[in-house]
Amino acid sequence: MNLLAKYFPNAVTMKSDFVQATGETLYMTAITAIVAGIIGMAIGIGLIVTQPGGILENRVIYNILDKIVNLCRSIPFVILLAVIAPLTRIIVGTAIGTTAAIVPLVIGSAPFYARQIQNALAEVDRGVIEAAESVGSGPIAIIFRVYLKEGLADIIRSSVLTLISLIDLTAMAGAIGGGGLGNLAINVGYSRFETDVTVMAMLIILVIVFAIQLIGDLLARHVDHTA
Amino acid sequence: MTNEAIIQLKDIDVTFHNKGQTVEAVKHVSLSVERGDIYGVVGYSGAGKSTLVRVINRLQRPTAGSVEVNGQDILELSSRELRTARTKIGMIFQHFNLMASRTIADNVGYPLKGRMSHADRKQKVAHLLELVGLSEKATDYPAQLSGGQKQRVAIARALANDPEILISDEATSALDPKTTSSILALLKRLNKELGLTVVLITHEMEAVKEICNKVAVMEDGEIIERGDLVSIFSRPQKPLTQDFINTATQINQALEKIFRQADSLNLSESQQLVQLQYVGASTDAPLITELYKRYGVVSNILYGNVEILQDTPLGNLIVVMSGDPDKLAAAWQYCLDAGIHITHLNPNDSEVA
Repeated sequence: MNLLAKYFPNAVTMKSDFVQATGETLYMTAITAIVAGIIGMAIGIGLIVTQPGGILENRVIYNILDKIVNLCRSIPFVILLAVIAPLTRIIVGTAIGTTAAIVPLVIGSAPFYARQIQNALAEVDRGVIEAAESVGSGPIAIIFRVYLKEGLADIIRSSVLTLISLIDLTAMAGAIGGGGLGNLAINVGYSRFETDVTVMAMLIILVIVFAIQLIGDLLARHVDHTA
Repeated sequence: MTNEAIIQLKDIDVTFHNKGQTVEAVKHVSLSVERGDIYGVVGYSGAGKSTLVRVINRLQRPTAGSVEVNGQDILELSSRELRTARTKIGMIFQHFNLMASRTIADNVGYPLKGRMSHADRKQKVAHLLELVGLSEKATDYPAQLSGGQKQRVAIARALANDPEILISDEATSALDPKTTSSILALLKRLNKELGLTVVLITHEMEAVKEICNKVAVMEDGEIIERGDLVSIFSRPQKPLTQDFINTATQINQALEKIFRQADSLNLSESQQLVQLQYVGASTDAPLITELYKRYGVVSNILYGNVEILQDTPLGNLIVVMSGDPDKLAAAWQYCLDAGIHITHLNPNDSEVA
């Protein structure tokens, strides 16, 4: 404990702040992951089935989804945070706070996840899809029993990637009023020259990231039977 | 076996448009497959044979023409009706197309998901795995299996819905010769035991030779020759067909060797290099002896091969015949009368027949 006090003189006095900030970060990440996960998954599947040569080929829907994803992904997140504020106010009632941060976080990460899902499902062998069609499977069965099942290992890997980049985004959202570890690192540590607080926030984020990476890798390996 | 056509393709056209380019993959092809047939469709890659058979279960919609399977107009079906129709048309592929994330048993049971109870499905899968001889692999994953075993799993999966037709799209092309034979033997057995009608796409005439009773040869999107196996093998009309058959019977290789050594043969005026081809009973006649006894013509056998196609022997002999020109002519006439097909070969013409 002495060592901790020596290198993190300010941080040790802020234990409850760190616990709360970590809770906020996890809360933002979890809620966003669920909402953006569902939206991103739906758009990703939509892209893969409506793409040229897909099982429900539809040029119009594909182009609309594709453009939306590209557009959202082109806006830098810090700017998105500001631009989206009025919408956030309509949905949540306020543009400041942890819950309010979830709106831009969803809009920032769902398109990214959609693209990841699209790429993961694109890896599913076209021949396997065809084999499923040849035994009489319809589009719903092919999506759930072939695409999502065959692509599961890649979906897990993409989800880990998205989760990690999402934590990155929560830190940014936190810095401009969303709370969490990002808020602590910037508005307390950086602004008050309490570098140890910044470093501690960073270390906690690293632990969270490594944990997610580890669990994701284990899960992906567990469901991957390709070799 | 009745003579009822289970698959009837009429005037099928398939045209692809790709970046301003138009490719006519299948041109005006009609094909009729009868119940119980093992119908071979042979051709080099790009001949349009895969595209043609994918029309049967509408994996490929034809640009023009009509498709009737089991009396049902396949092109008129709604997507729901099409899915039901597809359950009666099994299909196997060159690259097996198994699901890597499912066990062997799950792959085989996949088509039955949602169609029967778990217990029934389990029983059916066990039966199918036994049928293809892979019962002990039920809990393995496809990555743990050899190519031949994977194809057996694919066959079991294709049979899960009790189809009446099995389409084999180059199913043995990625396998070694021995495994190919065992897969073909399995298809033949399924044809006999289950009355399964098989459409076999391949670029190897050897595969056709082993199990098909009928064959169609495709080139540039058209069927250039078709008929029952024995007549196609004994009397091929088109050069491409002859080429396929000579490769399958290894006559090409034999001729090549003989022609390469043409100089050492030292054929005189009174000697002729000929290929004798005979079908069925005439195989058994002591031809060479007969020619000598009757005409004093001596035949030196350079190459001989007998194929048994659909229980009919098909023989090929390459011989050098020696004798007086008039005796030789008489000997050839005797052969012709005996139903033996004669091709005169010119060793100086290195072009293989």
